[in-house]
Amino acid sequence: MAVPRDLTRATLAFGATLRASGLPVTTSAVMDAVRALEAVDLMDRAEVYLALRTVLMSRLEEQPAFDRCFEAFWRFHAEDGQGLDGLVATIQPQRREDEPEVDAVEAAREKQAQIALDDWEGGDAADDEPVEVPGLSDREALMDQDFSTFPAEQLDEVARLTVQIAKRLARRVSRRRKPTRRGGVIDLRRSMRANLMKGEIIELRRRSRRRRKVRLVLLCDVSGSMDLYSRFLLQFLYALQNVFGRVETFTFATRLTRVSDLLRGPSYKSALRRLTEVRDFSGGTRIGESIREFNQNWGRLVDRRTIVLLLSDGWDTGEPEVLAQEMLTLKRRAARVIWLNPLLGNPSYEPLTRGMAAALPLVDHFAAAHNLSSLRELASHLRVR
Amino acid sequence: MRAEIKKIHEMMESADYVTDPAIATSVHLAMTLKKPLLIEGHAGVGKTEVAKVMAKMLGTSLIRLQCYEGLDAAQALYEWNYPKQLLHIKLEESTAHTMSEKEATIFSPAFLIRRPLLQAISATGAPPVLLIDEIDRADEEFEAFLLEVLSDFQVTIPEVGTIKATQPPYVILTSNRVRELSDALRRRCLYLWIDFPGFEKEVRIVTRKVPGVNERLAKEISRFMETVRTIRLAKVPGIAETLDWAQALSSLHADHLDEELVTETLGCVVKDADDVKRLKRELATGGIGRFVAAQS
Repeated sequence: MAVPRDLTRATLAFGATLRASGLPVTTSAVMDAVRALEAVDLMDRAEVYLALRTVLMSRLEEQPAFDRCFEAFWRFHAEDGQGLDGLVATIQPQRREDEPEVDAVEAAREKQAQIALDDWEGGDAADDEPVEVPGLSDREALMDQDFSTFPAEQLDEVARLTVQIAKRLARRVSRRRKPTRRGGVIDLRRSMRANLMKGEIIELRRRSRRRRKVRLVLLCDVSGSMDLYSRFLLQFLYALQNVFGRVETFTFATRLTRVSDLLRGPSYKSALRRLTEVRDFSGGTRIGESIREFNQNWGRLVDRRTIVLLLSDGWDTGEPEVLAQEMLTLKRRAARVIWLNPLLGNPSYEPLTRGMAAALPLVDHFAAAHNLSSLRELASHLRVR
Repeated sequence: MRAEIKKIHEMMESADYVTDPAIATSVHLAMTLKKPLLIEGHAGVGKTEVAKVMAKMLGTSLIRLQCYEGLDAAQALYEWNYPKQLLHIKLEESTAHTMSEKEATIFSPAFLIRRPLLQAISATGAPPVLLIDEIDRADEEFEAFLLEVLSDFQVTIPEVGTIKATQPPYVILTSNRVRELSDALRRRCLYLWIDFPGFEKEVRIVTRKVPGVNERLAKEISRFMETVRTIRLAKVPGIAETLDWAQALSSLHADHLDEELVTETLGCVVKDADDVKRLKRELATGGIGRFVAAQS
């Protein structure tokens, strides 16, 4: 049986390994793990595994990472038939080996971000500058111009305008709530208070269930020319953020990437720029497969209070049947499915691609998101009946 | 294997719950560490059953809080029985009791409606098992409220005072992952994922729960279910469906599966029109052999 002090140290080290692999392990969880190990048979590898997993893992998605860490941790001593003691010795050098590697990966990623960085949005210093409101005539012109036709030096201004419009919309939406007089259950507490002076309960007060905020899930095509539109849409929706309960964002080209956490961070602006990193130049867009991946792994983010926004030009190199089937699954779960296609802004465009044709009957709303007016118009569709 | 875990394993089995080491270990830890256990898994894999069996094992009561959209503190914790209070005031109108006496009466425990959470906290004797079922159906606001209750197991009712659990209840939370739960809640809980049972386990479950099914049929049913779960369906059938089906087959006095029988009883296995269509198509093309042939 292990000496308690070593056991504690080994568990702490294991907790650090898990943390390095991205599991949110708190110190109190590690202390619970120590207590858990005291409650199981330390000579039984399977039981130690189950105990640690019960305490230190908090969602199914973490299991592959957890299993890897556990394997690495046990590799040296499981064969000798030893328990957890002695692991302390093995874990220390292992971590030292790992650390520079992690740094290298991080550095490489940073560098890549630098390369991917576009100059249109300006540096962080620009954030502190007072927002310039362009004159009315300038603005009218800007409203209807396609994002892709703006010269690079004007994009910065357009981005600011996008946020400004969104913020004004957000204020308007939050003011629109009003109390309901009919329906709901009787609120006896308030009824009694209202009738205190009357001696009898005459007037009944009612309360209705508080309205929950709508949630958004964004699936953004970041292949080729779509990237610019994605960025404006994201900027617009994130500025509207406090109107929504939660905004989850995924990007796709040939595979799906969840970028919500990236965008939620303090360096939101640089994260926006980094979106293009997930771009995959090799093939076309596989919308159907990407949505399938979303449905399989992230379907639980969608409920009847969730609006799913899909931004894509519909140039799908995958099978249209797959797209149709996955759109159906999505539609069943979500409150609304909105497809945004910037090409729709072009009067001569008709949604004739096979993918588009397969998906269109399953879409609740089909709109462009190619200029500021269309973004503003979009806001009125982001509501659940 | 630790003796306590072995004992839990045996007790669960004797309570007609077919279990595995993962479930037994998690239950053992939830009891020793006195921490809430969050159980996730697909619908119908026996998550709720864990709490029931636990209460049976411990010989204590099971208090169940079924969550749903819009569930609030009044329905989960406590509420004053307003109609009863109003009636009481009416009846007392002519008596000589003073105002404060009346007040003391109507805010006494007799007028308090104890909802599951308060029941669990104010229980006397052995700590009960508190089952918070389908927490993912409740709103996020309720989750935050629940966290508060779970952290110190005490409730303050302004008119009565603070009620603190003498012995905190054992807490089991279940989730079907309809909604993502907050990290704060996950941090506070131990975690157990119950997957669909493997072939061996399902055979054991079927033979244990539906005695009318012979060994061959039990194996065929389990193999069939195993295959069905690999097909992409809108609603993947759980153990509950397996048992329903086995029960139906048993009452039809079936001793093995054939195509006709399966087609007739498919409604027990999948409950979605598209899924039924899909399975029928698979049956027509691949035959029954596609489903029950032993997989290597």
